[in-house]
Amino acid sequence: MSKNILELTNVTKNFPGVKALDNANFKLKKGSIHALLGENGAGKSTMIKIITGVYKQDFGSLIIDDNKQSFSSPNEANKSGISVVHQERNLIRRFSVGNNLPKNNLGLINYDQVAEQSKKWLDIMELDIHPNTIVSELTVAKMQLCEIAKALSLESKILLLDEPTSSLSPQDTKNLFSLLKRLVKEQDVSIVFVSHKLEEVFEICDEVTVLRDGKNACVSENIKNLDRQKLVKLMIGRDEQIIKSKENKNINKENLLDLIKINTDLGHKEISLNLKKGEILGLYGLVGAGRTELIKCLLGLDRIISGKLVLNNEEIKIHSPKEALEKYKIGYISEDRKKEGLILMHDVLTNAGITVWSKLKKILSFLNNGIIYNKVDPYVKKLEVKTPSYKQLVSNLSGGNQQKISVAKWLAAGTDILFIDEPTVGIDIKTKAYLHELIINLSKSGTSIILITSDMPEMISLADRIITMKDFKVVGETMNNHNYDDMSASIMANIHE
Amino acid sequence: MKTKIPDFVKTNQFGLLLLVIVFILLFTFTTDGFSSRFNIYALSRVVAIDIMIGLAMMVVILTGGLNLSLGALGVSAAMFGGWCMESMGIPISISIVLILLFGSFLGWINGYVTVKTGVHSFIVTLATMSIYFGFMTLLTEAEAFRKLPETFTDFGSMKLFNKYISPLLLLSIFTCFVLFYLFKFTDIGRKLIAAGANPDAAELSGISVNRMFIYCHMLSGFLAAVAGIMLTSRIGAAIPSMAGHLGFDWLLPAFLAPVIGGTLLSGGKVTVFGTMLGAVLVTLINNGLYLIDVGEFWVRFFLGLILLFAVLLDRAREYFTSKNSIVS
Repeated sequence: MSKNILELTNVTKNFPGVKALDNANFKLKKGSIHALLGENGAGKSTMIKIITGVYKQDFGSLIIDDNKQSFSSPNEANKSGISVVHQERNLIRRFSVGNNLPKNNLGLINYDQVAEQSKKWLDIMELDIHPNTIVSELTVAKMQLCEIAKALSLESKILLLDEPTSSLSPQDTKNLFSLLKRLVKEQDVSIVFVSHKLEEVFEICDEVTVLRDGKNACVSENIKNLDRQKLVKLMIGRDEQIIKSKENKNINKENLLDLIKINTDLGHKEISLNLKKGEILGLYGLVGAGRTELIKCLLGLDRIISGKLVLNNEEIKIHSPKEALEKYKIGYISEDRKKEGLILMHDVLTNAGITVWSKLKKILSFLNNGIIYNKVDPYVKKLEVKTPSYKQLVSNLSGGNQQKISVAKWLAAGTDILFIDEPTVGIDIKTKAYLHELIINLSKSGTSIILITSDMPEMISLADRIITMKDFKVVGETMNNHNYDDMSASIMANIHE
Repeated sequence: MKTKIPDFVKTNQFGLLLLVIVFILLFTFTTDGFSSRFNIYALSRVVAIDIMIGLAMMVVILTGGLNLSLGALGVSAAMFGGWCMESMGIPISISIVLILLFGSFLGWINGYVTVKTGVHSFIVTLATMSIYFGFMTLLTEAEAFRKLPETFTDFGSMKLFNKYISPLLLLSIFTCFVLFYLFKFTDIGRKLIAAGANPDAAELSGISVNRMFIYCHMLSGFLAAVAGIMLTSRIGAAIPSMAGHLGFDWLLPAFLAPVIGGTLLSGGKVTVFGTMLGAVLVTLINNGLYLIDVGEFWVRFFLGLILLFAVLLDRAREYFTSKNSIVS
């Protein structure tokens, strides 16, 4: 049996009013990939932060390579060979890739040397990027890979990956996994892998530790002794409810929204597609295929150069999201809830009601909290948002509840057409299933939905029809028969033909 | 369990109120004449204008921006008013409406250029500050309007409440209530705040962010024009240098009041009454230091120190972004 490179023993961490970790244990074997799982709020982040020196545990010990350690800053953790790749991007966007991969020396910068050194790590990652490329020009997937390269460049022996695949396509994910396996073998790295996608855990992890409410539901369980069902039960403490996909939904055959040969400023070419009433139309594609960008053009944030947009057999032009909402009843649930979906520094009531202010205002623009509350409350209740009060700042809520609020505000707005972009990124299983059910119910009640997701299983369980995009063009359209193998094969064929 | 502390005690404003009281007591007992009727009346005339320019700055800070042209704009509007009343003989009421429109228009220029160019309002208003002031000096040939209608100048020297308080102060307090109502109880006020807090999210939620930013700048111009009118009425004349060269004399109090009051420099949070208390505090310290006779330069030194301290406070506030409501 190989030895443990990292060990947490009986770690407890208290926050005001919450016991984030309660006698939790974690053991990472040298040269292994170890999954750390749990629902949102189970204590994963706290554990990661203790390992990386952001927090200090109240009780218990942290042992690295047989030495008892106590970090007082992330920098110290770095020096002990621990790096973490967070969900959020931590690259400096207007710097070049090379300058984002620093050695920790604060001398004069020799740019050629920087390029040369970083090339080495980019090569190990098999990234075909020149070190002088500016980060903001990269696709999201490439940025993610650069983050990992950055972590490696610190010569880390322990790598913590927090949902590394949330913005990656299946292809990119596959590449990443073979790379991780190689890193473990060749670079002598041990990896802690945090993900909500259980398929991935089974694909690459050797062992699993599950946290539930700050306690261990299991410690270092061999993956071979587990299956999906068992794992889910460990995570949520009960069996998973399988959502039934709705085969025989009556889709009104009439087109509600038609895009006819749309060309845009951003480079979309001859995009033609239609959305039927009450339909969930999936837009699948790799990151960088131009899906989100297309939606933003439809909302008037970027210009449509030519082509027609037809709503209910009438040609329309949308100049702003305001016009889309107020005139055409079209809404957009952003993929980036922190930046575009919510106002984190404002309270729940403000965020849930923002779309309906215009509609609710009385004479002289009068509008008080009570009026908004009456309108919004049913939706917040319906979505089971967990918040102590409507005055709670959204930044203090968990990711799942935040996402529910960014959905609730569009339910309150009562739109006919909803563009939903990556609705379950970074969301725990329970909330994810909940949101899936909600999307299906929405479409049943007559809302037409364009769904963008890079999560193939999600796409196949939700969409009625799937349009595949690649390089800002539509490359295929498939009726969804909800059979994962069929569908993924035909979609990937569309992309790679 | 500890005894429950009422919510208002934990707010920034409550702390400010205590500070104000402490300073009032301090100056009352350490100086001669602080609590005299004359001094309190003089204070009320000064603080009235400081509140108004603080509010004018606050509504632009709300967008995460700044309005450096505040002083130049206010003086330009006042000079325009002097020209209306004295040279053109336009009745006072109509003149005032024209001045306010003029101020709003200059504010609109600030907002429009900021929004259309995407340049930070710091730079835009630095430029317009010079433009407005230069243009005003050119047109007036740096001459003052000293023969304003008496009804107008009488207002500025009127004494209320047993001759303790200037009506100017009541006007400022009234404006505070109006703004509080705007931000707390109207659709448009909520949209202004949302746009300032997170422009991207606001835009995607169906708010026209550019329009909101322009509104904020117009409101700032409007309030600066009000301050200009008040100052003119107080002095009894419209003088190009009444807010210092390029209107610089207004800048420090304009920043101090909202920042001390708890308005976030990064935008998205306003404190109308905090700004009011901030202005009161600054005027108090200013006045008290003069009475203690520490000398002009020390006063400036202290005000600068306070601004620095207030900005540090702002950083801390941003860090903790307390559970206070976004309008107070």
